[in-house]
Amino acid sequence: MDLLIQTALQGILIGGSYALVALSLGLTYNVSGIINFAHGDFLTLSMFLALAAQSAWLIDPYISGALLFPLLFVLGAGVYHFLLRPVAQSHLLMVIQLTLGISFVLQNGLLMVFGGQPARVPSAFETTLFQAGGDFIFRAPQVFAFAGSVVLALLLWLLLDHTEAGRRIRAVHQNPRAAALMGIDVPRLRMQIFGVGIGVQAIAGALMLPGVPIDPALGFQYTVIPLMALVMGGLTDFLGIYLGALLIGLTEALGTVFVSGTSGMMVPYALFILVLLLRPQGLFRRA
Amino acid sequence: MLEISGLVAGYAGPPVLRDVSLDVRAGELVGLLGANNAGKSTLINCISGLIRPRAGTIRFDGEDITRLKPDAIVLRGVVQVPEGRQLFPRMSVLDNLLLGGTNRTARPARVRRIEQVYALFPRLEERKTQTAGTLSGGEQQMLAVGRAMMTGPRLLMLDEPSLGLAPLFVQAIFRALRALNEDGLTILLVEQNLNLTLDCAARGVVLERGQVAIVGDAATLRADPRTRQAYLGL
Repeated sequence: MDLLIQTALQGILIGGSYALVALSLGLTYNVSGIINFAHGDFLTLSMFLALAAQSAWLIDPYISGALLFPLLFVLGAGVYHFLLRPVAQSHLLMVIQLTLGISFVLQNGLLMVFGGQPARVPSAFETTLFQAGGDFIFRAPQVFAFAGSVVLALLLWLLLDHTEAGRRIRAVHQNPRAAALMGIDVPRLRMQIFGVGIGVQAIAGALMLPGVPIDPALGFQYTVIPLMALVMGGLTDFLGIYLGALLIGLTEALGTVFVSGTSGMMVPYALFILVLLLRPQGLFRRA
Repeated sequence: MLEISGLVAGYAGPPVLRDVSLDVRAGELVGLLGANNAGKSTLINCISGLIRPRAGTIRFDGEDITRLKPDAIVLRGVVQVPEGRQLFPRMSVLDNLLLGGTNRTARPARVRRIEQVYALFPRLEERKTQTAGTLSGGEQQMLAVGRAMMTGPRLLMLDEPSLGLAPLFVQAIFRALRALNEDGLTILLVEQNLNLTLDCAARGVVLERGQVAIVGDAATLRADPRTRQAYLGL
């Protein structure tokens, strides 16, 4: 019983880090209409930049994450403005191809610079453990990452539902043409949001980094799993996306511990297929 | 106020508008008439910057706005109420109105303008917390006009505001347009409803297959048999 609870809580914490990436993927998708298959590779990029900052100047990832945010914001805005926007009106496959291309460029660029062997980034709280309710033990960085995902979700909700900028973002999402007719500079807003979505990868990278080995190929996993969370949540419902990410983390942990061998890894994907079959409109959305 | 000369525009293939020139003077209500596919919507969308014309110029208050982006054109006071209303369907009536006043020139006057819109269409105030997508067609059209008024337009262009509405709502919309025009707002009205338009327009322009066929005051157009022919696409 204790093992079950420990595993479930662990899974939910991991789901929190998926949620960090899934929420920003959802934000960029909903505003620009582009599914960015390089999203997870920006996460790896920010992780390796944090690695570089640590090796060169001994900057802790928790600090370099904040410093890298503006850099990734500019990078994301630039990628949208110069690469994605020019093809945004063409066939969907063209856009997907382009983001996949960016993914390969990032992955192989990192491989070229940092090599393929797994790397670790030391951090202040790397080995800190929290004990809760007697026997349950958690690694501090995972708790921080989970807390970070809650904060991000709250910020996103505040931004979208309680600010003028959020009202404009929703307008562009619901009807970009009408938004332009209200005097909103739609391409500029989309560029900014894309920048924010990529910028958040710097924070997410820092939160997920301590104590976890990284390699240049990690990005694909952090595109596919958040994408699953996005689809499970019904694409536009941020609470659904968040809970979807937690559910994937949860089933992944339970599957790995309680289902024998590698078939345990299949549990979250089986769940995903079930959701697609039974609730294609999204977990918590009315049809 | 608005001067269009030699406008050629369209999508892929042959142009929809072929050498269109027309003027709208300050304070006028001009009806833009013509059959389906005559190019009325294309013309309005060119003025709004949604379609790039292939040739010709559009001037507003003497300034060339032909190549400006849609949002820049709205900031200058040229505002469109699009065909099919194009509301933000999953937002409240109030949010839709607030979005009309979201750009930096309209923002300071937002609170005052909401009151004016509510005075124009009291129905919108009653429905202000309701989701725009759940309004009736007529209420949606009122909201579309109200939202456009929130931008602080100097030239208001409406694309088929009576389309698909119950007669009572058509009357309400046109009464509002007449009142706005009497208060000094310049209006360019695209309509299928010939009689209704000529009732409140000072002048009319009839488009026929992408060209200006007839220009004249309302009485002249009403008397001219070619007006009706143009409508039937003859």
